Amino acid sequence: MSPLLKTLENEVQIAALLFMAAVYMIRLAWLFRFKSRKERTFAEGKEAAGIGRSLLNIAMPWAVESARKKPGVYLQFVIFHLGVAAAIAATFIIPYAPGVFKITAVVRIFQVIIGAAFLVGLMRLFRRLKNPAVRLISTADDYVSLILMVLFFAAGFLAVPNTYRSSEAALIAFFALTAFFLVYVPFSKISHYLYYPFTHFFLGRTMGHRGVYPVKRREKGGSG
Amino acid sequence: MKRKKSETRAAVMTPLTTTSQNKAREEKLGSVVEGRLKTYDSGTDNAKAFVALLRRRMTRQIAASLAACVHCGRCAESCHYYLARPGDPTMIPVWKADQVRRVFKRYVDWTGRIIPGWVDAWTPVDDEDLNRLKDVVFGTCSACRRCTLNCPMGVDTALLIRFARGLLTELGIVPEGVFNVSRDQWETGNQMAVTEEDYGETLQWVKEELQAEMKNPTVDIPVDKPGCDFLYVINPREIKFDPRSISHAARIFHLAGESWTLPQKGWDMTNFGLFSGDDSLGGRMAGNVYEAAARLRAKRIVISECGHGYRSTRWEGFNWAGVDQRLPMESVVVTLDRYLKEGRIKVDKTKNPEPVTFHDSCNIARSSGITEEPRRVLGRVCADFREMVPNRTENYCCTGGGGLLSLPEYRPLRLEAAKIKAEQLRATGAKLVCTMCHNCVDGLSDVIKHYKLDMKVVQILDLVNRGIS
Repeated sequence: MSPLLKTLENEVQIAALLFMAAVYMIRLAWLFRFKSRKERTFAEGKEAAGIGRSLLNIAMPWAVESARKKPGVYLQFVIFHLGVAAAIAATFIIPYAPGVFKITAVVRIFQVIIGAAFLVGLMRLFRRLKNPAVRLISTADDYVSLILMVLFFAAGFLAVPNTYRSSEAALIAFFALTAFFLVYVPFSKISHYLYYPFTHFFLGRTMGHRGVYPVKRREKGGSG
Repeated sequence: MKRKKSETRAAVMTPLTTTSQNKAREEKLGSVVEGRLKTYDSGTDNAKAFVALLRRRMTRQIAASLAACVHCGRCAESCHYYLARPGDPTMIPVWKADQVRRVFKRYVDWTGRIIPGWVDAWTPVDDEDLNRLKDVVFGTCSACRRCTLNCPMGVDTALLIRFARGLLTELGIVPEGVFNVSRDQWETGNQMAVTEEDYGETLQWVKEELQAEMKNPTVDIPVDKPGCDFLYVINPREIKFDPRSISHAARIFHLAGESWTLPQKGWDMTNFGLFSGDDSLGGRMAGNVYEAAARLRAKRIVISECGHGYRSTRWEGFNWAGVDQRLPMESVVVTLDRYLKEGRIKVDKTKNPEPVTFHDSCNIARSSGITEEPRRVLGRVCADFREMVPNRTENYCCTGGGGLLSLPEYRPLRLEAAKIKAEQLRATGAKLVCTMCHNCVDGLSDVIKHYKLDMKVVQILDLVNRGIS
C-alpha cells in the first residue's frame, strides 16, 4: 500500500468525517434556530402514528401514488440508495475490516450493488438532461452531485476487491472522492438525508394529529 | 445574470392591478387605515421588503421544506396542472416552489449566500419580479397538497406556496380578487360582504318557507340562542346563493331533536387568510367563530359543508389566532353520520336512485382526514354510489381550490388543468357528483359546464334531505 493511499484511508478520512460531523451539528443548530409552531388543537389521531407513517414513506411504495404508478422509478431509487449504502460501507470495511473483502462472494455482492447503482446514476443523469421539466429545475449542484456519485460508484466498483497491486489507482480515487464528499456533502443537495427525518417528522406530526395519517383506507375503485 | 431563470415565461402573466386598493385607500377603509389590510406602495423597495419578510417569517417547518428538496421531479405527475400541460415545465410543483426557494437559498441557506449560481439562488430585483412570482403562486397552484403527500422527501410544497402568498399579500402585490375578498372579510366579518339585514332577512324567509313546507310552525332557525348543544357556522355563499343548504340543515336538526343555534356575529366560517397566506386575517376570522361559541356558551361548534372553512376553523385558525382550542368541533357531515348511526333520522335510499359519485375536497380529505364519514352517509342515502378513481387523499382538486374561484384572470389555465378532473368525473358514469364543500360545488360546476359533462353537483345535505323518509 502506498503512503498516499494509507493516509487517504486513515487520517484524511477521519479528518473529513470529523469535519462533516461538525458541519452537520452546526446545520442542525441552524435549523433549530427557526421558531416552530405550537399545535393548539384537539387531536383527531395519533401524532406518533403519523410520524411513523411519514418516516416510513420511502419504504411503502404502495402508499405513494408516484411509486405505485412507476415501480421502475421506485426500483431505481432503491438500487441507487443501496449502492450509496454499500459504497459508504466499503469506505469503512477497506481500512478497518479488510478481511471481509477477502471473501469473493462478498466482493461480488458489493460490486453488483454498486455497479447497478452506477447504471442507475447514469440513467438519472440522462433523465435530468433529457426531461425538460427536470432540466428546468436542475442546478449546477444537482448535476455535479449526481456526476460525483456516478464517479464514486465507478471507483467503488473497482476498489472493493481491495487488491493494491491491481486496483490501487481505483482505491486512491475512491478514498479521495470519499474525503471530498465528506467535505462537500453538507453544502450540497446530497445532505438531503439530514433533512429527511425533520420534514417527515413535521409532516407526519401534523397529519397524524389530524387523523390523515395513517391513511384509513386505501383507494378503492369501482362501485362502492 | 441575476434574472436569468426568473424570466422563464410562466404560464400566465398578468399585470398588477391596484384599482380596488387605490379606492380602498381613498375611501380610508378602517382595515387599511389601521394597517390590517395591506396595499401596494410603488414608492417602497418592495423587493428588499420581500426578502426581509421572508427572513423574518421563516419557521422550522418552512426552512426544512425549502432545504430538503432534491429536485427529483417526482411531484410532477401528482399535479393536475402538469398532467394537463405535460409539455410545460413551469407546471411542475417544484418549479413553482423554487421561485421562493431560490430567494431562501440566496439569503437564508448557506451555499447560495456564498456561491449563488451553484444552487441557482436568486434575488428579486424589482416589483416586476414580484409580480411574476404573484402569477406563479396565485395563478398556477390550487394548494391542493397532492404533491406534498407524494413527495419522497416530505416537502410540503403547498405550505411553501402559501408562505410566498403571505409575503406578497403583505406588500399588496396580489390579484384584485385576493384584495377584494380580504377587504370584505376585514370590513364586514364575512367574505361576501353580507350585511346584518341581509343575513337576518334571509334566515327569516328560509324559516318561514321551511315551516310551510314541513307544515310545522315550531320549526326554527335560532339565532344567538345561548346554551345550545352546538353553534352552527356557515359559508356566506349559503346566505347569498344557496339558502337551501341552511333550510336542509335546519330541517334535519329539527327532525333529530337537536338544540342548536346560528350566531348573530361570527357566523362565517370561511377564511380567505388560508388562501392569501395572511395569518392575521386567518386568526381574526377564525377568532370570530370561537368568540361567538364562547359568548353563546355553546357546547361545541358544527361547521357546515365547506372544505377550506372546515380546515381553517377546525385546525389552522387556532394556530393563526394564537389561542388554544377549548370546545370540540366537527363537520356537519360527521354530525349527520352520527344521526344516522343513532337512528335519530330515518332515510330511504330509493329516494336518491341516480348514480352518485363523491368528490373528496382537498382541505377535508388531505388536510383534515375526513374520508369515511361522507361515504358512510352516502352509502345510507344513495341507491347507486360509485367511487371515482383516485379517491380520498389521492383525489384530484376540483380546480377551484386555493382561492382560484375569486381570480378570473387565471380561469383559462384553471379550466385547462381541469381536464384531469373532467376525465375523472366522466369515467364514473355518475349523474350526480356529491361533495362536502361549497367551493368545490362552484369549481366542479365550472368543470362540468366547460367540458359538457352530463352531471350535476350536489352536497351531502341535499342528498340526506332528499333521502329522509
